[in-house]
Amino acid sequence: MKLLTLFGAIGHHDTVDGHGMGMALLFWAFALAVVVGGIFVISRRNLIVAVMGMVGSFLGVAAIYMLLYAQFLAVLQMLVYAGAIMVLFVFVIMILNRPEDEPVAPTGHLGQVVGAIGILYLVGRLAMLLWSVELPNKAVALAAPKITALGYDWGSVKAVGTDLFNGGLFPFEAISILLLVAVVGAIAIARPLHEDATTDEGTKSL
Amino acid sequence: MNGILFDVGYGHFLVLSAVLFLIGVAGVLIRRNALIMLMSVELMLNAANITLLTFSRMWGDEAALSAHTFALIVIGVAAAEASVGLAIVVAVFRGRRNVDVDKLTTLRH
Repeated sequence: MKLLTLFGAIGHHDTVDGHGMGMALLFWAFALAVVVGGIFVISRRNLIVAVMGMVGSFLGVAAIYMLLYAQFLAVLQMLVYAGAIMVLFVFVIMILNRPEDEPVAPTGHLGQVVGAIGILYLVGRLAMLLWSVELPNKAVALAAPKITALGYDWGSVKAVGTDLFNGGLFPFEAISILLLVAVVGAIAIARPLHEDATTDEGTKSL
Repeated sequence: MNGILFDVGYGHFLVLSAVLFLIGVAGVLIRRNALIMLMSVELMLNAANITLLTFSRMWGDEAALSAHTFALIVIGVAAAEASVGLAIVVAVFRGRRNVDVDKLTTLRH
C-alpha cells in the first residue's frame, strides 16, 4: 500500500481521476519487458535463455497487474509463474539436458513453403484485424482511469477473497480437485515404464 | 501522438495484451520444440488474463472483482496444464530422445 500511495503521489491524486506521468513511464517500461521477454521466448535456441525471457515477461505482467490495481493477483503471478512454473521448466530442461537441439528448418520442401505462406497469411489477417478496429469512441480508449469503488483497496486480498468465497466458491473447490488430479496424472505419466526398475534405474533410463 | 504516449488508458493495456497473445501464437506456430510451445501457451494465458483484468478495472466496482477470481482460476488451470504438459514432454523424451514435434508421427496413421 505504501508503494501504491507513493505511486499515486507521482501520478494522480487519490481522489482525482486522471492520467499521470508516473503511470505512463511505468507502463511503457514494463510493457517493454513483457514484449521483449516474449520475443526472447520464441526466438532463442538456448532453452535456458528462453526460460529467463519468460520469467522477465511474467515479472512485467505482474507489474502490469499492479498498474491495474490487482495487487493480490500480481503477487500470485510472481509466486506461481516466476516461482513455481519457472522452476518446473528449468528442471525439465536440466533433465533433457539438450540445450540446443532444434535445427534450423530445412529449406526447399513444398510443405514448408505452404506452411510459411499460411502462417504469414494468418498473422497478416490478425494484424489487419487489429489495425481495422474502429475505435467508436477514442475518448474511451484513452480515457483516464477512474478511481475504483474501494480506492486502492479494490484489488486487495480482502476484496478478492470476499468475492472468491462468496461467488467463486465452487470454482475454487473445483480447481483444488483439478490440481490434485493433475499432480497424480503427471506422476503417472512421467514414471519410468519399466516396473522392475528398483534402485536408480529411473535416473538411468532418462 | 503525445496523447498516445502519455495518456495511458485502457486501450494501451488491451493492445499490450493483443501483442503478447500474437507472440504466443507465433511461438506455437513456428517453433518445433515442445518446451517452447508450452512456454508460448503460458504467454497466451497471461495475455488473456491482462485483458480480463483491464476490463475489470474499467468497471471498477465490487461486482467486477469476480474477474479477479476468474483470473485466479486461470492461473490455477495454467499451473495444472504446465505440470501435465511437462510430464508428457519427459515421457516422450524418455522413449525417443528428442522433443521435436515434427518427429512425433507414430499416431498419424
